[in-house]
This record gives sequence, structure tokens and C-alpha cells, in this order.
Amino acid sequence: MKSAIKNFLATIGIFLVPILSIIALELLLYLPRSGGFWNFMRLTPFYAGIYFWQSQRPDAFNMVSAFVLGIFADVLSSTPLGVNIAAFLFLYILSVYLSSWFNVKKFSYSWLLFLAATLATFLFKALAVSIFYRRLVPLNSLLFEILLTITLYPLWARFYIWAERRYIHLEERYEKI
Amino acid sequence: MKRRRILFLKENYVLRLFKNFMLAGLFVIALLLILVHKIDLGIISGISKGVFYITAPLIHVVTLPAEGLSYGYKKASDVLNVYTENERLQKENAELFLLKDRMKALKAENTLLKKLLHHFDTPATQSYTARVIAENGSAFANALILYLGENADKIKTGYAVVNEAGMVGRIDIVSGSYARVSLVTDINSNIPVISQKSRDRGILVGGNKEEMKLIFTPLLAELHKGDLLVTSGVGGGLPPDLPIARIKKADMDAVIATPLFTPSKLEIVKIIAYDVLPDAETSEGLE
Repeated sequence: MKSAIKNFLATIGIFLVPILSIIALELLLYLPRSGGFWNFMRLTPFYAGIYFWQSQRPDAFNMVSAFVLGIFADVLSSTPLGVNIAAFLFLYILSVYLSSWFNVKKFSYSWLLFLAATLATFLFKALAVSIFYRRLVPLNSLLFEILLTITLYPLWARFYIWAERRYIHLEERYEKI
Repeated sequence: MKRRRILFLKENYVLRLFKNFMLAGLFVIALLLILVHKIDLGIISGISKGVFYITAPLIHVVTLPAEGLSYGYKKASDVLNVYTENERLQKENAELFLLKDRMKALKAENTLLKKLLHHFDTPATQSYTARVIAENGSAFANALILYLGENADKIKTGYAVVNEAGMVGRIDIVSGSYARVSLVTDINSNIPVISQKSRDRGILVGGNKEEMKLIFTPLLAELHKGDLLVTSGVGGGLPPDLPIARIKKADMDAVIATPLFTPSKLEIVKIIAYDVLPDAETSEGLE
């Protein structure tokens, strides 16, 4: 009985690490009060995190995790509830297919796949918001946000790798994959 | 090893099918949430309030060190500039002293004229101060997060948020001691305004950019660069005569205006409680 509870908590814990690491990074980005550039960075850990955790640790990140993160992002970023959820699920589906089609080992190739997935996700999100408000979202800001998300991927990935090594044991990874 | 079967199907196949159904289900839920948000049902505001109740205090805790540093820097620079600031204030005080008598005379005249015209004043408004703890600005939304403190129970959705220059936005969500403000530059913002000079009306719409568009203006509107736009009070949602933007460009194609504030420089704001419209939750008395 005791070991069953322990196993259950361990499984929950594995699923919590990706979500909490993304939220922790997100909250850290609220630290600077200078606005402008920082504002565009706020949601970048979400995109990088969903792609990273799905492609690297599918055993610790599933569609429900993407859904929960979407609710957080919607409320924090003040977009209509559902837009970020749909966008993150879209990114999740893309990363599932991309990682199954291309079994990449090199980080640079993985970054390229992230570029493709991010572009498609942002287009999907821009389309959803534009239809919702019946107004086009500003193209300049959209492009800047896309570029920033792609550029910062290696930085956020480093943090997620650290979180994975620190809180999810490698033995578990090799057992489950 | 023998493979397990569920209803003549392989276990892996059933699991994959279940996963695909679940993914499709979650996607449909997300799309339904967007639709329900569009219809504006109470359920969405309940979910948003619940999540905001958890996240806003976390953001506040994270921003506290930065807030402390910024406060310390401001205090230090205030001490350094105290001499020049005192000189400037003395000069300003002398000018204001001269204006005081003139204002008294104008006020008396104004009261008399109002009496003669049987003019009704707009309802008295109450205001509350709040501290800005975070700013969200992206291609998809422009918003602020406020810490309301003890005033939280007096703040309602839709109240105007202003700074010393003019209107900043409107309260979008109130949850716990925190509120989210949708800025006037947000893509969802549509505010009825009037030109202070020519009295031409229009709707000021945001687009998640630094500039806003003035639409539905009269064909022969006399709008010029530099004119101040103020809230018209049409619809009763906002108090009239709140400065909101200044016209940057006015030609046959479009009228572009810029807001009177810089989002990143907002620290303390004022919330104006203006209750002309009946509250949807407590409107039984009107029936």
C-alpha cells in the first residue's frame, strides 16, 4: 500500500516538474519592470517548454499539461480564454508528429524543427485572435515575438535540461523510453 | 511474451485511440471556451477569476524585490534633486497664486450659469488608488495587473483606470486583492470619445499597438493634429471628459491618435468608480 502511494506520488511529481519549471521561468520574467522588450519575452518559456518537454520527455509531459499551461497563459496574458489553450495543444500535436517523423539527435536540428512548429503555432494563434476580435493583430509585434521565441529557445532549453537532470532521475528516463 | 487484447483489439491500439480522442476532446474544449468567451457567459469570468486569484499574488511576490529597488532609486534621486525641485515648486506656486482669484470668479460664474440653465451635473465619482505590479504587452493583448489592497471590495469590472495624464484602461477582472486592466491600446478596446476642441464624436479603437484608430467620425469632422480626445460618456460606462489620447495624424484615410501614457512608466494609478448604469447583479430594484 505504502509503495503504491509512493509510486503514485512519484508519477505525479514527474508530471509536475515540466509544468512547474515553465511557470517558474514565466514568473521570473515578471521580475524586470522596464516593459517593452520584456513584455514580448513573457510567453516564450511556454512555447519552448511545451516543445522541449514533449520532444525530450514525453513520459513526463502530456496533452493535459499543455492544456493546464494554456489556461495559465490565457489568464496571465489577457487573451480570450481558450486561445492559448488551443495554440499550445496545436504546438503539442506538431511536436508529437515532428519528433516521430524526424528522429533528431543534434540540438541544432531540434532547434530548426522548433522554428517550424513555432511559426505554425503563431500563425494559428494570430488567426484565432484576429477572427475573435475581427481585427488583424499587428504584424510587426507578431514577427518580433516569433523571432524572440525562436532565438531564446536554446536559453530556456538549458534551464529545462537542468530541471530534468536535477528533478527527474535519468534512470527513470531510460526505463520508460 | 503474449500481447494483451481488449475486445479483440491490441492494447497499444486501444491506448492510441484513447489518446487521440482525448487530444481531440481537449482541442474541442479549447474552441468551445473561445466561443463561450465570445458569447460572454459568466462561466468564463469564473474560471479566469479562479486562475487569476492564484497567479496574481505569485507575480506580486516575484516583483517585490524589483519594486523595492525601484522605490529606493526613486527616493535617492528625490533627495539629490530636492534643491532644484524646491525652486521649481516655488515658481509654480507663485503662478498658481495669481490664478487662484481668477478661478474663484470663474467658479462663481459657472455656478450661476448652471442654475440659470437648470444644468444637471454628472454623478459624483469616488476614486481609489492602486499599484501597478506587472504589465503585459504583446501582439495579442495589452494589459496591466494591479494590487488593490484594502479597496478590492469596492472595485468592479468596467471602472476607468487613470493616471495623472488621462485614461489608461478599464478594469477587466477583479479577484482577491488584485485586478487586471485592459489598456486603451488593447485590441478589445472600443471607447466612445469626443474631440475637446471641435466636439466631433467617434470611437477610439486599440489594436495592440502604440497608436489607436478613431473610427465612425462624422464626414465633415474638423479633427487636426494635436487635438485632445476625451471620453464622451456615451453609453454611461465611463465618466465624460476624461482625457484619453492626442491626435497624431488626421487625413481623409484615417485618424490616428496616441495614448497619453507610457505603460512601462505606470506605477500608481487611480480607479474611478462611476455607477451610472445599473449593476447586472443587483438590478432587481429597477424591474
